[in-house]
Parts: sequence; C-alpha cells; structure tokens
Amino acid sequence: MSLRIVSFKKVFQGIYSLLKGMNVTLHYLLHPSTVVTQQYPENRETLQMNERYRAQLIIQHDENDLHKCTACQLCQNACPNASIHVIPRKGPVTGKPELDYFIWRMDTCTFCNACVMVCPFSVLKMNGTFETAVFDRDLLTYNLTHYAGPTSTVLAKVSDPEERKKMIEPRNIYLDKK
Amino acid sequence: MKVETIAERVSEAWPHHPLIALGYLLGCLAGSALFLSVLGLVLIYAERKIAAHFQCRLGPMRVGWHGTLQTIADTLKLVLKEDIVPSQTDRFLHLIAPFLCLLGTVLAFMVLPMAPWLQISDLNIGVLYITAISGLGVLGILLGGWSSNNKWSLLGAMRAGAQIISYEISATLALLVVVLFSGSLQLSEIVQSQASGWWIWRAHGVGLVAFVIFLIASTAEINRTPFDIPEGESELTAGFHTEYSGIRFAFFFLSEFISLFVVAGLTATLFFGGWMPFHIGAWATFNQIMDFIPPLFWFFSKTALIVFVIMWFRWTFPRLRVDQLMKLEWKFLLPLGFANLFVASVVILENWYFFPK
Repeated sequence: MSLRIVSFKKVFQGIYSLLKGMNVTLHYLLHPSTVVTQQYPENRETLQMNERYRAQLIIQHDENDLHKCTACQLCQNACPNASIHVIPRKGPVTGKPELDYFIWRMDTCTFCNACVMVCPFSVLKMNGTFETAVFDRDLLTYNLTHYAGPTSTVLAKVSDPEERKKMIEPRNIYLDKK
Repeated sequence: MKVETIAERVSEAWPHHPLIALGYLLGCLAGSALFLSVLGLVLIYAERKIAAHFQCRLGPMRVGWHGTLQTIADTLKLVLKEDIVPSQTDRFLHLIAPFLCLLGTVLAFMVLPMAPWLQISDLNIGVLYITAISGLGVLGILLGGWSSNNKWSLLGAMRAGAQIISYEISATLALLVVVLFSGSLQLSEIVQSQASGWWIWRAHGVGLVAFVIFLIASTAEINRTPFDIPEGESELTAGFHTEYSGIRFAFFFLSEFISLFVVAGLTATLFFGGWMPFHIGAWATFNQIMDFIPPLFWFFSKTALIVFVIMWFRWTFPRLRVDQLMKLEWKFLLPLGFANLFVASVVILENWYFFPK
C-alpha cells in the first residue's frame, strides 16, 4: 500500500464541481421558464407538441388540398407489419396509375417511422395529434388521402378547372362502406 | 432575555397548582404533536415542490391551489391503507421500530430553543443530550431492517447503522468547537453567547469549517442524499422501510422530515445564533430594526434556509458508494474535525477571536 497524501488540488476541484452543480440546479429553481411540464388537459388549446413526436401518420396536403403521392408503394413494402396498403387506380382521364386509397391501420402500426423515411417525395409525415382514442376498432383504420387522383405536380399542368374536377374524386378519412 | 421553558413552568406550578401544571403538560403535548405533524406536511410539500423545480418540473399541481393539499391527501391515503406485517417477521420489533425512530427525533426536538419563551426543556447538557438521543433513531432503523426478514432491509439497516455511527463522530467534533467557544452545553446559553455575533464568523475560520463539517455529517446522519445509501432505491428497493406500509411507513417518513428540521434547527442554533437577531457591530439603528423582528421568525427563517440548503444538496449531488462514504468520513472529515478542534482550542486559549466576551 502506497502512502498517499490527500491531493489538495483534487479536493478543491471536487468542491468546485459540486458548487458548479449546485449553481446549475439553482438556475433551474430560479427560472420558472425552464419548466418543461405541460398541464395537459388544462392547456389543451395551447398545447405544443414536439416536432419529433410520432402519434399519427398523415399525407401532407398543400394549400389546395393536393398531395404529391404517386402511389409507388415503397412505404407499403417498407412497413414491417403491413399496416399500410396503398391502393392505386387507373386514372379516368390520364390513364396512368395514381393514388386511390392510402389505408393506414393505426391499431397495428408501431410508429417506427420507416414509411416516412422511405418516401421518395417526402409526402408522409408523423404528427403529434395524439388524441386518437375511439370506441370502435374499425375506426382505427384510416384512409389518409383526401382525394383519389394524380399528384399536385400533374394537376398543376392542367389549367382548366373543369378538367381538374374530372380527374379528382374526394375520399373520406375512413373507407367508404357502400 | 430570560429563557423561560415549558418544563420550568410546569415544575413551578406543580407544588401549588397541579391542575395548571397538568394543563401545561397536555397543552405542550398537543401543541408539539400538532406542530410536528403540520411541519411534516409542510416540509414534504416544500421538498416536492423544490425538487420539481430543480428538475424542470412543476411538482404537485392538482390537489388544491398549486397542489398545497397534496400531502394531506397522501397522508389520508397512508392512514387508510392496510398495515401489512409480512409473515415470519419479528412482529413486535417490526411494530415498534417506526415509533422508536420517530421518538428519537421528537425527543431531540424537545431541547431546541425556538424563541426565548418557546423551548420545551432547557437541559444544562442540551448538546450532549441531542447527540445521545439521535442514536435512538439508528436503533429504530436497525430494528426495522432486522425485523422485516428481508435481506434488502437488513442491508439497508446495516448501512444506516454504520453510516450514522461513523458520521456522529464528525458531527460531535464540530459541535465541540461551538461548545468550546460558548463555554456551555446548554442550548439557550449557546444562543445567548452569540448576542454580539454568530459563531460561524465570530470564530473566524474555525467556525466556518465546523459548520461545513457539521452540515455534511448531519446530512449523513439523517440519511439524505448524497448519503442515502440505507435507502438507495436503485440498490436496495427502499432499504430499511421496504416491508412497511400504511401508517407505519408514514411514521418513518415523518421522522425523516422532523429530523431534517431538528438538524437544521440545531445548525441554526449553534452557528447562526438561533433566535438571535442579526446584528452588525456598531450600527445601532440597524440593530434596533433587526430587534423588531420577532425571535421566532429569526429561528424559523434560519432553519428554513438550512433546510433549503440540505434539499438543494439532495437534488444536486449523486449518491456516494459505501466505500466512498467511509473514506470521506474516516480519511477526510475526521482528521479535519480534529485539526479544527485543535485550532479552535488554541484560538480560545490565546483569545484570538473577534468581539471578545
């Protein structure tokens, strides 16, 4: 066993680091703005969810309520447990394949984000709308597209509004049960 | 100011008016019980709120205004809960352990001079009494851990025993410095001796070192983080009170918070002049203004400050390992305490301290 005198430098360094830690915690105590707790049910109107929070899958629609999905089905293939079904249709005007239904089964989704990462047009996104509880399991099967039809880039080339209307058919957030 | 204790009043009234003496006693009992339980509630609430804000949280917010009624609700829950005694335990010891633990702290509370007119008993060996009686708390913890028939509890209790007994030495060495300076073991006299200046700076240097040693050692004695290895959630589930539930658990909890108050009060009494107002040498007007603030307020604000500092420690520092704990005590605090005591005695012999008597 070696004789070692207490290193005074070490002692003072230790005390300094302890004081530094106390300074950090005191800063938190004295600045209520550092509080991150959200009083959820009370602040429902002003609640700000974090950017990266994953609660619901959406297809991003632009201001004209159009999206950029080409129904390429990459997300469907990337989905680890087959929660996504991309159903294309043959366009009534263009004759080319376009998105008809985008079915997302929330009850089996693990929110792994693989579909979002794989999407070549950055159409898919996870958002923070977390109040999705329903009383019927069927209501957890969503249709994410607002319309059946071609992408916004294709539609931008069509100048005639009448012509556009022919290409688009509205879709509900649930599958229409006819 | 003449210190008038409740014990004196009782003994004065006893030969002539036994009923009045009895009334004093009962009033004192009821008053202390009420005060201590309210104190427990307030301290638990304060601890939770302060802890929350140290960690960027809000703490209790739902029950009452800013969660003020939360501790009452929790206490109610604990009282109504089933008091489970595990099978194959030492039943009797298991039942009395929390009460022993509480007894130790309440008995120590007895000699605290809170104001010139508010002290339950003014023993002439007050400091010695406190150091002796705080050993009773260890007994409660040890019995609680032993009788639980649970290896984690036993380990926690053993750790508590080792820790408290070790740190008591340092705490006593730090107390002795103040006892040397004030020349008395009586707490009221220690307070009186600080009329011209508190020992923390009047005993220059030595008092400050003694204060730091005492603060560290007493934090360890009441088993609070960074010295909470007897409970160490991540290691021993909950240590000695793992097997306790309901009201008995509440008693352990209460005793922890009352001992926090007692330790803070003792620190305030010894180093910050107890109920003595803050005076600066020759500033007569300033001193007079300070005298207008009642002594009770002085005592409680000083105690609250030290309670806050101990809570601050708890929510900042990580827990020490057992070997680090022992190393800190035996290799650092104890030699420092002895050196400090030696220097203090030299200072007193040579009369080197400020404001001579």
